[in-house]
Amino acid sequence: MSKKMKAAAGLLGIALASSSLLAACGSGSDTGKGAEPAKGAKEEKPYEISMAFMTFSNLKDVGLVQDEISKITKEKINATVKLVPISISAWNQQVNLMLAANENLDLIVTMASRNYGSQVAKGQLVPLDDLLNKYGQGIKDAVGPELLAATKVGGKIYGIPSMRDLATDFGISMRKDLVDKYKIDLSKVKTWEDLEPIFKTIKDNEPGIVPLVQQNNSQTPALKIYNAQFDLLGDSMGVLADSGSDLKVQNLFETKQYADSLALVRKWYQAGYILKDIANSQETGQNLVKAGKAFSYLTNLKPGYEQQDAAQTGKEMAVIRLTKPYMNSYNVTSFMMSIAKNSGNPDKAMQFMNLLYTDKNIANLISNGIEGKHYVKKSDNIIAPVPGVTESGYLFNQWEVGNNYLTYIWEGTDPKIWDQMKAFKDSAVKSKALGFTADLEPIKTEVAAVTNVLNQYKVGLETGTLDPSLLPEFNAKLKAAGLDKIIAEKQKQLDAWLKAEGNK
Amino acid sequence: MKSNHLNQWVVHTLFVISTCACLFPFLLLFMASFTDEKALITGGYSIWPEKFSLDAYIFLLKDSATLLRAYGITIFITVVGTAVGIIISTLLAYPLSRSDMPLRKILSFIVFFTLLFNGGLVATYLVYTEVFHLKNTILALILPGLLTNGFYILLIRSYFATSIPVALIESAYIDGATEFRIFCSIVMPLSLPILATIGLMLSISYWNDWFNGLIYVTNSKLFSIQNMLNRMLTDLQFLQQSDIASTAGASIPTDTVRMAIAVIGILPIFCAYPFFQKYFIKGLTVGAVKG
Repeated sequence: MSKKMKAAAGLLGIALASSSLLAACGSGSDTGKGAEPAKGAKEEKPYEISMAFMTFSNLKDVGLVQDEISKITKEKINATVKLVPISISAWNQQVNLMLAANENLDLIVTMASRNYGSQVAKGQLVPLDDLLNKYGQGIKDAVGPELLAATKVGGKIYGIPSMRDLATDFGISMRKDLVDKYKIDLSKVKTWEDLEPIFKTIKDNEPGIVPLVQQNNSQTPALKIYNAQFDLLGDSMGVLADSGSDLKVQNLFETKQYADSLALVRKWYQAGYILKDIANSQETGQNLVKAGKAFSYLTNLKPGYEQQDAAQTGKEMAVIRLTKPYMNSYNVTSFMMSIAKNSGNPDKAMQFMNLLYTDKNIANLISNGIEGKHYVKKSDNIIAPVPGVTESGYLFNQWEVGNNYLTYIWEGTDPKIWDQMKAFKDSAVKSKALGFTADLEPIKTEVAAVTNVLNQYKVGLETGTLDPSLLPEFNAKLKAAGLDKIIAEKQKQLDAWLKAEGNK
Repeated sequence: MKSNHLNQWVVHTLFVISTCACLFPFLLLFMASFTDEKALITGGYSIWPEKFSLDAYIFLLKDSATLLRAYGITIFITVVGTAVGIIISTLLAYPLSRSDMPLRKILSFIVFFTLLFNGGLVATYLVYTEVFHLKNTILALILPGLLTNGFYILLIRSYFATSIPVALIESAYIDGATEFRIFCSIVMPLSLPILATIGLMLSISYWNDWFNGLIYVTNSKLFSIQNMLNRMLTDLQFLQQSDIASTAGASIPTDTVRMAIAVIGILPIFCAYPFFQKYFIKGLTVGAVKG
């Protein structure tokens, strides 16, 4: 007993000590010390670059891959790499805390949807312009000035977009077996309205199969119809018309295009073409197709979409593309790599980042793992899963980082996929506001209030479940919640951004 | 007499109905976890599934080593955390309950103060990672839970103050017992209800804790079961809601898996609860009455 008591007393001491420390730390949080390497030892000892990225699965073999990468980097830039996978569920908390606590962290994946703007505003990221000039020639060549400019905040680059699809077009993905069965002529479909006869055929002849479902519960059918006609500026609160060619911020929900898309979806819903409980359904369109319950869903597309979709639904899919590819800030800034201000050696971090965009071996190691263990080579540029291995220990989401165009192509995908992807992004209609990201911090309250109203109406209206005659009521509530103020603020910021751009 | 009988029937029926209403969601959840995924999508939820399937559990058990490990971690932190938690809490609460202890009011206030204010997440994180270096250690899952339970301490203090007669302590003192002896041989055995109550509360909070794991642990070897399941669930949600889901190319486990996750997470504590309940009620009410 007495031993236990002693231990308990010790713990009690810790309790008291920590509570006083907690109080002391309340004011200044910058007390943590950066793990800067000793200056003298730097010559012999390679610097360890830690890189945080997002993961969905348990990356068992991440250590092995990191060692392989380190072998290359040690030779090329005298540095080793530490990969820090962070689960998406823990991402926001852990990254915020790591940045705030000054933990050793060099490279970090940043996302427009996950606080990129506020990380820049808080000074948690290093401006990259000078470093790019010094060590980033490969990045500049691979990414190009236009896309680099799209990540600027206040005239400075804080993130390098990963090279992936970067643009998007919209259309419909349908079960190919049923398309063939009813001899549907896909070439006749030019507009969204032309889809109606197809839905009718399915509804009349295939009982038990819903002609149209949602892509998933935040990606409604109407959204896919109007999306390409606007630059939604990230959140639909205040948008630019005409795919972003018009530079006047306006209320999306009062536009004719919005009303038209609602009317169309409502017509489909009333005709019974759309899943009855679509507004509440949590299922993805792919799952519903897989379960044999649905025929099609409207979706955003890119080259190679068919093969990918077939893999997920387990059925061959026919895809019709109904809009031109287009690109806005959000497409570009959704996944970037930044250097954290915690970095003990931003120079090395930038050198490594440059390798991610130029070194084929590193790009492949990080994206696909180790040859023979995580994939086997079929030919020069084509790889396949290792026979007999059902679950790979390394499943990386390559779209997050680096230059995807350097990586091998998985068997079953079009061997020319990266060329197509490049052409796709180059051909995309670019929003004139490409590069503009609004800072919503000054109008937080309004944003929260408007979000509430959006949650109340948007899904119902955009799935056809609610009558579009509610639109005026919806708009009245949006106005009451302060949408006009958000629009005015965005316009102000956009004008300032345009002016700064023009002066360059 | 007869109306009394009738009353009893009415009351009992009402209770049976409300019990069923409470159990129904659990039953639905339980059955859904055994339903075939396709049947669930096409047919919806039902008490008796159209088609039974163990797929969800097979999916979870596929990596059974990880799952068992996580279970082990959870059991370890629950047992150690609860035991140490009770020891620390009673050792602090007992002196506070004695009216002859100097500085009693100030110390009580300090404990009470922690209920009102805390340093915030960033400060807490800094202390645990930069001062104690607990990141990615098992202590990170135990220590934060031990040091933030001022409420329990006040609860135990009230119990000691109201249920242990001062005369008893005095007589033991006269018989020659040391303070330590009094605490171990007299006070503790007389306080079983409150110890069981605090024990249950602590063990539930340790069992259900995912937040400490979320912020302090990146090493998957240290994932507790709730943390692991929470991660799977949030990952799923993210993949289902975003338009990059199709890009991710991962096969997404679905509704039935979520149900199975909930069943696995809840079952052990669900089974343990009835055995504690007797003490639980007693422990909570005793502190409420001045006696």
